[in-house]
Amino acid sequence: MLFNSWEFILFLCIVFAIYFSIAFRFRPFLLLVASYLFYMFWKWEFAVIMLAVTAVNYYTGLKIAKSTSKKQQKTYLGISVFASLLPLVYFKYANFFIDNFAVILQELGFKANFATLAVILPVGISFFTFQAMSYSFDVYNKKTLVETNFINFAVFVAFFPQLVAGPIERSSHLLAQFREKHHFKFKLLIEGSKLFIWGLFKKVVIADRLAIYVDRIFENPELYSSATLTIATLFFAVQIYCDFSGYSDMAIGVARMLGFRLMQNFNLPYLANSIADFWKRWHISLSSWFGDYLYIPLGGNRVPYIRWIINIFVVFLVSGFWHGANWTFIVWGGLHALYYLFENWGDKLLNVVKLIHIKKSRIYQTLKIVTIFVLVCFAWIFFRANSINDAFYIAQEIIFFKTDPLYLGASSVTFILSVLLIILLFAVQLLQYFKVASLYFSESKMPVVIEFSWYVLLLLGIALLGMSSNAFIYFQF
Amino acid sequence: MGLLKDIKSDGYKNKALRIMVLFLISFFMLDFFVGIVLKNGLESYYGFNENAKIALVGHSHLMLGIDKVQMEQDLGYKVAKYTSEGVNVANRKLMIEHLLNKNNKIETIIYGVDAWMFTGEGLSENSHALFYPFLSDASINIFVKKAAPESEYWTRKLIKSTRYSEGLISSSIRGYFKKWDNLKSGTVDIERLNENILQGNFRSINNNPKNIKILTETIEILKKNNIKVILLYVPTIDIVNQFEKYKFQETLEIFINFTKKYDNVDFVNFLEPFSHQHDLFFDPIHLNPKGQSVITDTLIKVLNNY
Repeated sequence: MLFNSWEFILFLCIVFAIYFSIAFRFRPFLLLVASYLFYMFWKWEFAVIMLAVTAVNYYTGLKIAKSTSKKQQKTYLGISVFASLLPLVYFKYANFFIDNFAVILQELGFKANFATLAVILPVGISFFTFQAMSYSFDVYNKKTLVETNFINFAVFVAFFPQLVAGPIERSSHLLAQFREKHHFKFKLLIEGSKLFIWGLFKKVVIADRLAIYVDRIFENPELYSSATLTIATLFFAVQIYCDFSGYSDMAIGVARMLGFRLMQNFNLPYLANSIADFWKRWHISLSSWFGDYLYIPLGGNRVPYIRWIINIFVVFLVSGFWHGANWTFIVWGGLHALYYLFENWGDKLLNVVKLIHIKKSRIYQTLKIVTIFVLVCFAWIFFRANSINDAFYIAQEIIFFKTDPLYLGASSVTFILSVLLIILLFAVQLLQYFKVASLYFSESKMPVVIEFSWYVLLLLGIALLGMSSNAFIYFQF
Repeated sequence: MGLLKDIKSDGYKNKALRIMVLFLISFFMLDFFVGIVLKNGLESYYGFNENAKIALVGHSHLMLGIDKVQMEQDLGYKVAKYTSEGVNVANRKLMIEHLLNKNNKIETIIYGVDAWMFTGEGLSENSHALFYPFLSDASINIFVKKAAPESEYWTRKLIKSTRYSEGLISSSIRGYFKKWDNLKSGTVDIERLNENILQGNFRSINNNPKNIKILTETIEILKKNNIKVILLYVPTIDIVNQFEKYKFQETLEIFINFTKKYDNVDFVNFLEPFSHQHDLFFDPIHLNPKGQSVITDTLIKVLNNY
């Protein structure tokens, strides 16, 4: 069931009406049933996997909390991580390992022809697995209280607004909210609806429209000119942002209507003025997850310099691999690690040559924002390309630019409209950046009439220009 | 009930309800206005309200093949061009009924034909979507209701702006600007076409009796209304015509048989000599602006001889 479907709107209305009508003590159970129903619309069998991951983390959480020795706690944490990752590895990575193992054997001169597994990746598996695991880590690190109520814990893992594509919530933030007594409030309904409409607009009007051009070019990149490949890459950068942040906005909006506060997942990432800043603004829930549960346990930056460089690479490569079992994602992660390190070395150099003060100048800041955007777009080539060879081909064509004509796609109207929509998006982002327009639930300085008209026009835009699509990009992760 | 209690005790209730009602009214008013504006443009693009004597009906093949502006200039009367991408024989029957409802002064229908028109497969499967803007027309409403998924139908029924795809919006804008130009400039890539045919990438001809029957019904409707029918074969490139030569000729025979059976039907075939002039084609079945101009000139000469 997709957010951009009538089925979901009907489902939400029913859940909403029942949720606020029944006694508080039954509400977590209702949300649990609703969340599993929501998930089972894709494939009911996958709900068993989610239930198993939930049960493992619930049990190990209890055991970790009861254990008195660190060794025992570590053992249970290990069990939790191993058992949680098992389905993820099987469904998502098994074929990748099989393929690459076969290639290595063939390189070594052995005959290797292994059959790959006929598996379908359960939607949202990476999201609910990481959310469940974060609980066990937090109990182990005493950052959260152990949850003894299985219903509350199960709904924390399966909460339908953020189940299939995040934000990946922390138990310390979300779990406690299932114990709160939420009352229906018009203010929350309106705030949630506004964010939902904006997210839906980004998804069905911008992302799905850009996808038509992007898919066509990336399917056969060798048929297109450098200019076309450059535009397709730029379009993809906007597409993935609108697709993913659109979903997050809708998730946060739906949760808000029910009285829940989900964490902000995007904060104007294409206006970041450094790579470190970009990762504080892009998929915040995942980057902070890797920060808390991988980077810091590895020692963070409180280690020798070489070890720190290794830590940076490990975090970014794992982050790339989290997105998919393909070398393209690993290279994408590696590129971001390189950017991160070069930025660090650049800052050190500015220090040495005593030019650190220029970092504060407006020109430097603007140039940096543009540079970061270009670098991020370049890395997206590897994220989107169908194969590593395609990615290198596209990168090469863009770097050694040839002035062949630009392909406008099957319809020049669609192309022009796409460009106008991108301009609109960046204009809105600038207004949000300068705190004129509301970002998430922040105060807006816009006159009420303009804000009201804006949402009417957004809804009209969805009706008039919305495309129908079957999935969100991040569902595959 | 907790919900009702919450609503009653919410101090923001009155203001919120006012905002929500105003929001919905504003949205539906704007939607209504956009619907009218787009529909007017589209009707102008199709030439519904111009009391045209001649109407062109067909899919993209005819759309790109004939220049209605040139026809109007040279013939001295209005021409309606009700063409849309991917419309099949059943859609065209509906289009003709729709056109006749809008304009009772039509004397001649130029009906675009080609060797694949009875095949059915290969044309748009959701061609009913092309008729969404005209849901207020009873016959169109019945057709769309049958063809469209229920949720899609009711969404279009309720919200007028959802009835327009990008193509229809573009046509509507063209209608306001009176632009019917063929924008498909360029020439067909013969090398790639030959490669595609060798690889088996071509649309086979398969004359489905059901579709032939629909054309028969269409012609009978036009006969009842004393309207002359010209079955016009805008050329398709010789390379694809020759691929299934026997079936191709068989289809042409069907068109000829219609002229024998109905005295109001003529078959105007421009395959010779134009199908061999590759520089007239944008792709194997569509003409470029040069091709459009050549074929329109020839059609005008034919019409002047009537």
